[in-house]
Amino acid sequence: MPTAKDLLQGKPLRCPVHVALVHLPIALFALGTLLDVASWIWARPEWRLVPAAFLSLVLGVAAALLAAIPGFVDYSSIRGDHPGKKKATWHMVLNLVAVGLYALSIGLRFESLNGPRTDLLALIVSLIAFGVIGFSGYLGGSLVYEDGIGVGRHRHEGDLPQDTREIGAGAAQPVCIGRADEIPEGQTARVNVEGTTIVVARQGGQWFALQEFCTHRYGPMSEGRLEAGEIVCPWHNSRFELASGKPCGGPAKLALRRYTIEERDGRLFVHGMPRDSTV
Amino acid sequence: MGHPLHAAMVHVPVGLWLGAAILDLAVVAGVTNEAVPRLALYAALIGTGVALLAIPPGVADWSGIKREKPAWKLGLYHMVLNSAALLVWFANLGLRFGADAAITGPVWMTSCAGAVLVIASGYIGSRMVFDQGTSIARESKKKWRAIAEREGATLPEEK
Repeated sequence: MPTAKDLLQGKPLRCPVHVALVHLPIALFALGTLLDVASWIWARPEWRLVPAAFLSLVLGVAAALLAAIPGFVDYSSIRGDHPGKKKATWHMVLNLVAVGLYALSIGLRFESLNGPRTDLLALIVSLIAFGVIGFSGYLGGSLVYEDGIGVGRHRHEGDLPQDTREIGAGAAQPVCIGRADEIPEGQTARVNVEGTTIVVARQGGQWFALQEFCTHRYGPMSEGRLEAGEIVCPWHNSRFELASGKPCGGPAKLALRRYTIEERDGRLFVHGMPRDSTV
Repeated sequence: MGHPLHAAMVHVPVGLWLGAAILDLAVVAGVTNEAVPRLALYAALIGTGVALLAIPPGVADWSGIKREKPAWKLGLYHMVLNSAALLVWFANLGLRFGADAAITGPVWMTSCAGAVLVIASGYIGSRMVFDQGTSIARESKKKWRAIAEREGATLPEEK
């Protein structure tokens, strides 16, 4: 059974709900602002530009608040140290600012809905809000297309890794990266040993350690899917054998760097880290 | 730009076509506010206009997909359904103007058909992106390569 979080992230749909919902507020806000401008170009009361703009913005605010709910859930699923996290924070803050400005613009025009054109101050606020939502929407798109947020997320079992384990190797070899019971069966962890990042996967009671970045477009393997003996990149479905790191499907042609990992007394040890060995 | 133009533009027709269908149904359900059919008219009009503008960048994106990839076929279905949706909305606009913005039976029925078509097509478009990775990291490949290199990954030869 999918959890509430899975549903809000759109896992059963296999695409993010937030991304689908935002079409409505973006389009309604754009139309509302356009009608505001039109009411200053053509003062034709019979076209009902002023009440139509009002209605468009009211529906836009309602749709935006609805889209915010899965948006917050998506935001919380982005790893704290992800390069796109700061952008996501700006996207969230600016969306809230834009919705606040549109709400203000709605309030400012409330008294003059029967007039020939949108109240001047309401028009100005509406134009500013449109600029903010345009930029924020661009950031949201960039989170997907530049940073790959939400891509292939529905294929990953359970939650994405919420952090990167930072390990200072020191002189001791092999490097202890933590306790085995911290990573459940079928799950992955993202580990950084003195600057080198790996994905640690547990499947069929066995442990695997590979480089974190796919050899195709460098997607995050720790956010991928584990299948029988294989790990699948969340971005373009490149497949690699867990045991060898060799590519076995999809666009990647080059093997992932493999590290030897073993469990001793409930703790996990990786050999050859940070980067002097491919075993 | 770092973001496919087609994916950004389609927010307008998807949102406005759905919006127009919802507004039409509100009229059918008995809402009498005269701004509702007017807004539906503007939504259908602007939505259809921007849909036309979104075609060239969409076709350009699709032509960049290799034929043997699953995304190519999805893109083809996406294109066929979008074309069907566009034709339905052309008909809808004709009916709307013919009825002087009143919501007649044929108007709301074509709206609903057009909305269903664009939902189906938009869903296929989102599968291309979120399931097949179409356009993902296309423009940011260098940024991710630099990060991967810094963090000790084996990398392919730079093309």
